[in-house]
Order: sequence, then structure tokens, then C-alpha cells
Amino acid sequence: MRKVVLFLAMAALTFCVAGSGVAGDTIKVGFVDTYSGPATTFTNDVLDGFKMAAEKINAKGGVLGKKITWVTRDDKFKPDIGLTMAKELILKENVDLLVGTINSATALAVSDLAKKEKIPFFVTFSKSDKITGEKGHRYVFGMNENTEMAGRATAKVLAKKKFVKYWIAGDDYEYGHAIANGVFNHLKTLNPKVQLLGESWWKVGETDFTPYITQILAAKPDFVIVATGGGGMVNFQKAAQSTGFNKKVPFYQHTAIELSTLSPQGQNAPEGVYGTANYLFYNPATKENKAFVDEFRKTYNRYPKSGALYGYMTAQFIAKSFEKAGKVDREKFIDAMEGMTLGSPVGKMEVRACDHQVTLPMYFGVTKKTPKYEFLIASDVVSVPGKDYMPSCAEIAKARAK
Amino acid sequence: MDFASNLFSTGTLSQILVGLSRTTILFIVSSGMSLILGVLRIPNVAHGSLYMIGAFAAWSVIQFLGGGLFAFLAAMIVAPLIVAAVGFVLERGFFSYLYEREHLMLLLLTFSFALILGDLVKIVWGPEYRSITVPAFFQGSAEIFGLPLPWYNLFLLLIGPCIAVFLWLVINKTKLGKIARAAAVDGEMVGAVGINVGWIFAFTFVLGSFLAGLGGALIAPMVNISLGMDHSLIIESFLIVIIGGLGNMWGTLLGSLIFGLTQSLGILVWPQFGIAFPYLAVVAVLVVRPRGLLSSTW
Repeated sequence: MRKVVLFLAMAALTFCVAGSGVAGDTIKVGFVDTYSGPATTFTNDVLDGFKMAAEKINAKGGVLGKKITWVTRDDKFKPDIGLTMAKELILKENVDLLVGTINSATALAVSDLAKKEKIPFFVTFSKSDKITGEKGHRYVFGMNENTEMAGRATAKVLAKKKFVKYWIAGDDYEYGHAIANGVFNHLKTLNPKVQLLGESWWKVGETDFTPYITQILAAKPDFVIVATGGGGMVNFQKAAQSTGFNKKVPFYQHTAIELSTLSPQGQNAPEGVYGTANYLFYNPATKENKAFVDEFRKTYNRYPKSGALYGYMTAQFIAKSFEKAGKVDREKFIDAMEGMTLGSPVGKMEVRACDHQVTLPMYFGVTKKTPKYEFLIASDVVSVPGKDYMPSCAEIAKARAK
Repeated sequence: MDFASNLFSTGTLSQILVGLSRTTILFIVSSGMSLILGVLRIPNVAHGSLYMIGAFAAWSVIQFLGGGLFAFLAAMIVAPLIVAAVGFVLERGFFSYLYEREHLMLLLLTFSFALILGDLVKIVWGPEYRSITVPAFFQGSAEIFGLPLPWYNLFLLLIGPCIAVFLWLVINKTKLGKIARAAAVDGEMVGAVGINVGWIFAFTFVLGSFLAGLGGALIAPMVNISLGMDHSLIIESFLIVIIGGLGNMWGTLLGSLIFGLTQSLGILVWPQFGIAFPYLAVVAVLVVRPRGLLSSTW
């Protein structure tokens, strides 16, 4: 009997040791993001970019001798589900870090949880400026631009143009208003001559923009700021093409020049649309960018979109920070992340110590046909470096003090 | 803000025409829903999914035929037929087993299928956006007092009345239609006189699905074909069917007109709050006539 008990105890002990050994051999990253519904076209790129970088790091022996692994949870674009999933990732999956989400409300909820649980959280697509702005904290990192940054970058370029009478139109929710007001308010401070002629707001998911377009044309503005997002981008551009709107009035959409907006439309997308994006696979035409694009195409048989860059950088930042920290320790990891720099396909990136926001450049361009690709690309690209359009550390401190 | 000067401006006519073309799509989709609701008594939540499949199927047909006017016209016929086939499988394979049960069960089943079909679309077509363009024949736009009205919207304006007349003929002039109307009023009696009510239900569901698919195919060139395009439409369709009078085809037409026109004129009058106008109209109708504008078949 004693032998049996001893054997069982030994076996249990072996399992415990083996179990903890397995857990300790990896750095586990938990993704909570939208993996069903329309947003997948963006989120899959984040995950694929991350996987590509992580697999390369693992093939070279991993980080501190540990492999980077990842688990995913679908938040179905709902903040409550996202929060539950994030809790599950922390409690059941014992993840070392969290990555996600495309939904701003979810990102803010998970960010709050990350703060309480003291677990680093990398935000990879949601556009709320609150994430690293007024609601920012030690445990959250911003891996992409936000509405405030897009607004400032765009205003900077538009202020140099001759347009005076502006019209604002967009999705009637946080993102739409944040982008439109972000652009116009900053524009107004840079160029006091501009005036707002009127506004129109439609519901999120609006499919038919023709009645809005005829109404805007009747008012005869010089320039229109169109604040749609996601699938609405394509819908609006199609309506602009069929009504000839783009030929009558120049208009701007954040992400209008992005691949996800232009590639579904092929050669039929409207030309002359102003847009901004964090990433264009054909610009800058540098060795680093080309290598990234080639590698991504070889792995997934498609061109990388912005999300791919965010995921790719996130994995590399994680690896580099753990190397610098010297061990898997969250607090040391964060200390290492602050001010960390990284060579990326779009140049040298830095995670600012003051707000944990990555200093990506913003590209401003105009849609144009090209014989080189089956879809339109951005021409006359102006690159606005991160430091030129990001809120200053003093502004961040002021926003957080409120 | 001067509402009156906005309303009686040169833009009004073009705004009405644009609103009417939107009405067309709403009517085509909602009439299918109304038909199913009237005869089968199912508030078909999966109707929006069928509409979405119609749009994706139209994309596939046009890809397969390589584009052009012929491919477009073929897609407008083939895609709804594909959706009708899906409808046939749904009705015969699943819904037909639940007619005897509580209606709540049917409602839950249609809700389940809305989710299942959404995932199926993702499996078949993937998460990427799809887009088809208006064939060269319909490209460009007419000018009305200097404001553009796309030719495709005008094409929709022609199609709408054709569908309405077609539906009217099917429902009022064919034997099948007459039996379906009778089944809507008193299914038990129709069964008692020896008519196979099951097949009448199947026919109605297939026709309703066909209309959902047709709506999806027709709207496809105007929009971004994507997962989730079913969501907003299903709510609008339900509202239209409710304000028109449940199951009443003319009521559905009236509901679509109210919805499409209040929106486009609302945008003209008060652009910041254009989206609220159709819903205000719905509230107004429901307050005055809670059973809908025309008599309900329920």
C-alpha cells in the first residue's frame, strides 16, 4: 500500500514539475480581438503579422531560451465579451501579455483590466485617442495611430491647401465624430480662414450614400471631410464614383488610401480621393519595406495591410524588451519597453516613455490608377513623421491630469 | 437653419428620386419578408442573411463570367436562384418540422440560421471585402438641376415597379398565389380541402428567399459586399413590414416608400439628423395605427 501511495505521490510530483516546466518554457501572448464579422479583414492581418515575426524569433531559439506562443479569443466586436475573454486569458491561460483589439470600447475595458491585473496590453487597431491619452497608464501600449493623431497629421497637410469652405460628414458614433472633429478643429487653429459650411451624419453601416452626396453637392463646399470607417469606406467610395462626387468636390477619408479600402474595388475605385494611412506596402520603397512585403507575400500569398505591420512590430517589440529585461518579469518588461527603439519596414520606431505610444509615420496621399497593380494606389505621398503630429508629452500629461 | 428653403430647393427632386431608388431595394427585400411572415407566420430573422448571400453569390457569378453587362444580368438572375435553393433547403430541411410547435421555436431557429449562415458566408467567401462594379452600360449619372443621379439608381427605379407588378400577378392571378393567400388567412381550412399546405409553405419561402437574394444582388454594385451587411437591413425590413401591416404586400410597398423618402428628404432638411427621420416616421405610424397602415393578415 505504501509503495502505491509513494508511487502516486512521485507521479504527481513529476507531473507538477513537468507541468510548471512547460509553462515556464514559453512566453504566452493572449490575443483578444474580433475574429468574426466584418472587422476580420483588419484583425487577421495583425495576427498574421505577429505570427510571422514570432515564428522567425522562435526559429532562432526564441527569447531568453523560451518560445513565443499565442492563444486567441474572439470578442465578437462586443466589449463585454472582450472583457470576459481577456479575464479568461489571464486566469485560465496564464498569459504573460495581452494583445488586441479593434473595438475601441473593448480596448478601453481590457486596458482597465490590464491596469488592475498589472499585465502589459498592446493595443493593435482601435483608434480611440483615450487609450494612450487621458486613460493611458503604465500597462497599456499603443501600436497604431489614433483619431487625434490622424486628425493632427491631416490638418497639417490640409492647412497648406487653398480650400476654405468645408463640410463634415461621417458615421454617427465616436470614431466618426472623433476623426472629423480631430481634422477640422486642428485645421481651424492652423488656418483660421477655414469655415464649416455644414455637417451630415449617417448611421454606422449605412449602405447607400447617394442621398447624402447629392445633399452635400447642393451646398457647394470646397472640400469634404468624410469620417467613415471599416466597410463604409468602400461603400462611400463606390457612391462617390457613381455620382462623380470625387470629380466635383475633393474629399478626404482617413484610411482612404489603404489597401483594405482600395483592393476590393479593383480599377473602379474613384481617383483623386485624399487619404491617410500608417502603412502602404509600396511606400517607402526601401530595402526593409520590400523585405517585409516579400516575406509576408511568401507566407500568406497577399500584400500586407496596416494591421500586418502592427502585429509584426508588436512581436518584435515584445522579444526585444524581454531580452533587455533579462527575465520574464512584467515590471522589468515595461521598464525595458519605455523608450525602446526598433528598426521597422517604415523606419526606426520608438515607444515613447511618456505615453507608451509608438511613433509611426503618417502617409498622406491621393488615390490614383496605376498599370502596376490591379487596384489604385496613393500618389503624391507626403510622409508626416510621428514626432510632427503626435500630441506632446506635456499635452498627454495634461490630458491625464484631468 | 431654414428647413423650408432646404426642402423647396433645386435638390428636392433629385433627392426624391434617390430616395425612391433606395425604396426599391427596401421593397424587394421587405416584400420577401412580408410574404413569409404573412403565409408562414415566421418573423424570419435569417432573411438578412439570405440577402447577404445574394450579394456574395452575385459577386461569384460575375467573377466566374468575367464581368460585363451579360455577366451582370446573369448574376441578377442566377444569384437569387441560388438563394432560393438555400431557402428551399432551409424550409424543407428544418423549418417544416417546426410548424406544429410554438412560434417561439421557429423564431429561435431563424435566429440560429442567421448566425449559421453568417459563418457559412465567411467560410465560403472569406472575411475580405468584395466589390462588384456597375457595368459600363449603367456607369455615370444623369444631371437633375446640376445634381447627379446615377444611371444605376434610375435602373433601380424601373425595376421596382416591375417587381411590384410581378408579385401582384403571382399572388393575385396564379392559382398558387391564391392558395397561398388562403393559407395565410386560414391554413387549417386550406389543408382540410385537400391541399398540401406544406408545399404551399415551401413555395412561399422559396419565393421570399428569391426576393431577398434579388435585393442583395441588385444592391451589390452599390455597396461593399461584406460580412455583417445583413444586420442593418434586417431591422429596416422588420420596421417596414410592421408599419405597412404584417403580411400586407401593398402595406410593405407603402412602408418602403415612407422609409426611403423620409430618409432622403430628412437628409435634405436637416443633414445632421437625417438618420432619425425614418424612425420618427415609424413611431408616428405606430402611434396612430398600431396595427400598421394597411390591414394586417394576422
